[in-house]
Amino acid sequence: MRYSAGVDVGSTQTKAVILDESGAIVARALTDTGAYLVRAADRAFEQALTSAGVRRDQVGYVVGTGYGRFNVAFGDTQVTEISCHAKGAWAIFPATRTVIDIGGQDTKAIGVSDRGEVLDFAMNDKCAAGSGRFLTNSAEAVGMDVSEIGDRSLLAKQPVRLSTVCTVFVESDILSYLAQGKKVDDILAGVHAAIANRTVALVRRVGTNSEVTFTGGVSRNAGMRRAIEEKLGVPINASSDSHYTGAIGAAMYALERMRSASAAVA
Amino acid sequence: MTTATAQAGATTPAQIKYQGTIHELQKQLMTRYYDQLTAIAQGGPGRSAQLLIAGNPVEILRAFDMIPVFPEVNALQLAVRKTSLPLIQKAEELGYATDNCAYVKADIGMWQNGGVAPFGTVPKPDILVCNYVGCNVYLNWFEHLAELVGAPAVNIDIPFLRTAAGTPTDEDVTYVMAQLKELIQQLERITGTEFDEDKFNEIVARSARVGELWSKIKELTKRRPAPYDAYFDSVTMMAPLYCLRGTPEGLDFFERAYEEMSARAETGTGPLPQERFRIVIEGPPPWPFLRAFRDMFSRWGAVAVASTYSTVGGLWEFGFRHDPAKPLESVARHMLEANLCNRSMLQRYSQIERYVSEWDADALVIHSVKSCRLFSAGQGDMREHFVHDRELPTLLIESDLEDPRYFSAAQLRNRIDAFFEALEQRRVTAGVVAAEAVVAARAATQAPA
Amino acid sequence: MTLDLATYRDVIEDREFPTVREWRERTGGKVIGCFPVYAPVEVPYALGMLPIGLFGGGNRIEIANADSRFQSFICSIVKSTLELAFVGKLDLVDGLMFHSICDPARNLSSVMERNFPERPSIYVHLPQNMTSPHAAPYLASELRRVGAALAPIAGRTLTDEDLWRSIDAYESVRGLLRELYALRSETPERISTGELYTLARLVTLMDPADSSKVLADALAEARRREAKVKDRIRVVLVGSFCEQPPLELIESLEESGCYIVNDDFLQGWRWAQRGVRRGGDPYLALARSYLDDSVHLSTKHDLRQPRAQALLESVGHHRADAAIFLGAKFCEPGLFDYALYRKALDAAAIPHLFLEFEEKMWLYDRVRGEVETFVESMLFAEARV
Repeated sequence: MRYSAGVDVGSTQTKAVILDESGAIVARALTDTGAYLVRAADRAFEQALTSAGVRRDQVGYVVGTGYGRFNVAFGDTQVTEISCHAKGAWAIFPATRTVIDIGGQDTKAIGVSDRGEVLDFAMNDKCAAGSGRFLTNSAEAVGMDVSEIGDRSLLAKQPVRLSTVCTVFVESDILSYLAQGKKVDDILAGVHAAIANRTVALVRRVGTNSEVTFTGGVSRNAGMRRAIEEKLGVPINASSDSHYTGAIGAAMYALERMRSASAAVA
Repeated sequence: MTTATAQAGATTPAQIKYQGTIHELQKQLMTRYYDQLTAIAQGGPGRSAQLLIAGNPVEILRAFDMIPVFPEVNALQLAVRKTSLPLIQKAEELGYATDNCAYVKADIGMWQNGGVAPFGTVPKPDILVCNYVGCNVYLNWFEHLAELVGAPAVNIDIPFLRTAAGTPTDEDVTYVMAQLKELIQQLERITGTEFDEDKFNEIVARSARVGELWSKIKELTKRRPAPYDAYFDSVTMMAPLYCLRGTPEGLDFFERAYEEMSARAETGTGPLPQERFRIVIEGPPPWPFLRAFRDMFSRWGAVAVASTYSTVGGLWEFGFRHDPAKPLESVARHMLEANLCNRSMLQRYSQIERYVSEWDADALVIHSVKSCRLFSAGQGDMREHFVHDRELPTLLIESDLEDPRYFSAAQLRNRIDAFFEALEQRRVTAGVVAAEAVVAARAATQAPA
Repeated sequence: MTLDLATYRDVIEDREFPTVREWRERTGGKVIGCFPVYAPVEVPYALGMLPIGLFGGGNRIEIANADSRFQSFICSIVKSTLELAFVGKLDLVDGLMFHSICDPARNLSSVMERNFPERPSIYVHLPQNMTSPHAAPYLASELRRVGAALAPIAGRTLTDEDLWRSIDAYESVRGLLRELYALRSETPERISTGELYTLARLVTLMDPADSSKVLADALAEARRREAKVKDRIRVVLVGSFCEQPPLELIESLEESGCYIVNDDFLQGWRWAQRGVRRGGDPYLALARSYLDDSVHLSTKHDLRQPRAQALLESVGHHRADAAIFLGAKFCEPGLFDYALYRKALDAAAIPHLFLEFEEKMWLYDRVRGEVETFVESMLFAEARV
C-alpha cells in the first residue's frame, strides 16, 4: 500500500492528513504551529504517521500548503491553501462550487469547478478586516473563549449593529455597548453579523452557482454558520473535518501526483 | 494528470539576470541627469523646473534650457533605494495622514533634508509647473511645495476627457493652448530669455521621433516570446522618456533601445528562460520591493506583454505623435488625451481590452496601490468587468508604490501562486478534456463498425 | 421652536427621499443627483429639473455591493452613493452630475456609468487655474456644455432668461443661509448647529422656491428665540466639506462643550460669499462668481493665497477660541489640507483638534471623549489665567 499526505502549516495550527490509494482518510493530526514552522510540520506529520500506523517510506508523495508551505522540508512540492481548500471542500462535498474560508489572517471566497479546481477567488483587502482574529478579539472583549461565542450569539434577542469591522477598534465598540447596558448575546450577534456581511460580499464576487461549503476552523462556529446562511439565503455545508480541509486538499493533490507519476512509469 | 504542481517546473528567480545593455545605459544617463541637478543645487549655472509625469509638457521647458524635475521620479528613486520610509514618517510627524499619497510624503520628507537624496541633490526649482492632468493630488502636492519651497507656482488646468466622444472639446484645446502661451510668457520673465520657436520646433520634432520609437518598441512585445517585460523593463525606459524627451541623448537612447529589443525579438530571446504566461499588468509597481515582486511572476514564467503604467506620461502605441507642424497644439493634445491619467476608467478598460486581444494575453493582473487613487479607486469594478463581462482570468493584489509598510510578501505570494496554479490547472484540464474528446470521437466512429 | 425640526430631520435621514418624490409626483419633472462638493445646480434647475444633493448613505445603509467595486481605503461616501444605486434608491434620479473634486469621485462617475448605463452621468470640469484670465470664459463654456448635455433629459432647451431666473432662486436660498450662519456666529445660543445643519441639508433636497420659505421662517423664529448662553468654547469646524458626519456626531460635539460658529458642511450648496453680479452673459456671471467670490473650498486650488489663510481669517472673524478639523476618513483632499492648517494654526497659536469620522459611524464615545478633554483643557486653562 502506498499513501499520500498533505501538511497544512497555518498561522496558529498545523494539520496533517494521510490518504490511502483509494483516497480514504487514514489519519489526521493537529498541533500548534508555534515559532518553529519546520518542526511543527514535522511534528504533525509524525503524529499522523503514528496514528495511521504507516512508515515514512510508505508515503509516496507529500504536498505542503498554508502560509508555512515552504517550511514543509520533507514535502515533494507546495500548493497554496486557496487551491487546497477548493480541492478539499470538493473532496468532502463533491457538489461544492463555492468555498468560504474564514482564517485567522484573511477571509476568502473561492469559485470551484466540477473537478475541484479554482476558477476564481476573492479575498479581503488590507484594511477590511473581519477575519478570525476579529472573533478572537471580540471574545476577549466580553471575557469569553472564542469557542463559546458562536452559540451565545444564537441566543440574541436584539442584535446590535457594529460600526466597524476593524480588529483594533472592535474592542472599544464592544465596551461602548457594554457601558450602554447591551446584552452580551446581542453584542456577539452583532459581531457575527458584521463578519457575515464582509464574507457574503466576497462570495458575491465569485458568485454562487451551486453548493456552498464553509471550511476552516471558524466553520465549527454555529453562530457564524447561521449568520452567513441568513445573509446568503442558502444553506451551507460544513463538515466535522472542515478544520482539515486544506490538508485534505493537499493530500488529494499528492495522491493525484503520485498516480500520474506511476501512470507515466507504466 | 489533473494536478497543478507546476512549481516543480518553475525557474529559480535568483538565477535570472534581467538587465540588458539598455538598463546600463539608462543608469548612466540618469546618473548624469542627477549630477546636473546636484550642480545646480550647489550653486552652479542652469535652471530647473518641477512638473509632474502625467502628460508632461517637457518640450516647453527644454526650449528654455530648463531641466525638468519630476517629484514622482525622485520619490520612486528614494523607494527603490529603500530610503522612503523615514522620509514618509517625517512627513507624518508634520501632520500628513497615513492615508495621504506616500509619493508626496516622501517628497515632503526629502525637502526637510534640503532636497538631499542618495542619488543627488534636488535644487530649489525656478518654477513649479503643476500640470494638472487627471491626478487631483498633483494640485495638493504643488500647493504644499509652493509653501514649503517658496518657488513661483502655476497650475496648468487640463480638462479631463469627459464627453461621450472620449476626445477633448474645441474649447478644451483652445483653453489649454492659451494657458501654455501664458506659461511661455512667465518662463520668458523668469529666464530673461525670449521664447525661441525654432528651437521649440526642433525639440517637438525629437519628441515625435521618440514617440515613434517607443511605439515600435511596444509593438515588439506582440511577439512570442516578448523580447522584454512590458512592465518591469518598461519602467527602465520610462525615466529617459520623461526626463530626457526632446533632447539628443534622449533620442539616442530610444534608437539604441529599439535596436536592442528588435535584435532580441529576431533571435527569439525573452526576459525569462521560458515564457509560459502572457499577462497585462495594471497599476504602478511596488518600488520598494520591485525585484522581489518581479520574482513572484518570473517563477511562473509570467511575462507582461503590456502595462497601463507605462502610459501615464504618454500613450503613444495607439498612434499619437507630437507634431512639429503644430507644435503647441500637439503639446496640448498630449496633455489632454494622449496619456492614461487624463482618460476615464472606462477608457482604461478599453485600453486593457486592446492589450489583451492585440498583444494576445492570457490574464490581467491588477496591482492596486493605496497611494495612487487615480489608479486604484474603482479597480474592484475593473476586476468585476474583466472576470464577469470578459471572462478573463484577473487577479487583484494590493500593496503600495512608495510605502514599504503596505507590502506583505507572504500575502502577495500566496495570491499570485494561487492565481497561476489555477491558470495552470485550467490548461491541464483543457488538455485532458481535449484528449477525452478525441478518445470519445474515436470510440464514436468505431462504434458503428 | 415651533419649526418642525423633527420632521425635517426624518426627511434628511430618509434615503427614500420623500421631498424629492413628492416634487417629482407634483411636477412631473426630472431629478438630477449632484455629487458634492460644488455643483452648478442653477443649470439643471433652469431646465425645469430638480437638482438634489447626494451625500451617500449615512449610517443607515449597509454597504453590501459597492465594496466589490471600491477598496477599503476609499472613503465611505463614494461607496455608499454607489450602494444607493445598487439597492434602487436612486431610481428616482434621472441623471447624475460629478465634478473634478478628487480621484475617487471622478472614478465613481465611470463606475456608475458602467453599472447603470441607463442613467446618464455628466462629468463637470471645474477650472483649477485661478490666475489665468481664460479660466472664467472656459468655465462659462463648460456650463453651456453641461446645459446642452442636460437638455435632452429635460426635453427642452435652455435660454439665458431661464438661467437668470434659476440664479435668482438659488441666490435667495444662499442669502438666507448666509443670514442664518451670521446669526449663529453672533448668538450661537439662538440656533444650534444641529438645527442649522438640518435646514441646510433640507435645501439640498427641495425646490429652492419651497426651501427659501422654510429658511425664512426658521430665521424669523430663531431671531425671536431667548436662550441662556452656556459656558462653551467657540469653535470653527473644517474638513467635512464632502462626506457628511452623522447628525448625532455634530450634536455630540456641541454637547461636549462647543459652540460651532463656522463650518464647511454642505458648503458647495452655499458657496457664494456674495451675490452673483447681474447683467450680461449668465454663464459668465456664474463662472466669475465661482472663481472669484466663493467661500474657501478645499477642492478649489487658488495659488493666489496660502491654503490656511481663509481658516485663520474665519477664526478671527468669528471670534473663535479654537479650530476643530473634522475630516472624513480616507478623504485625501481634506487630509492634505490638515497638514497646512496645523502648521498655520500652530504659528498663530490657535488651539486645534484633529478628529476623524466616517458617515457610517454608529458610536461616538471615542470622539466625544476627545472633544470633552480638549474643551476641558481650554476652559481650565482660561480659569487659571
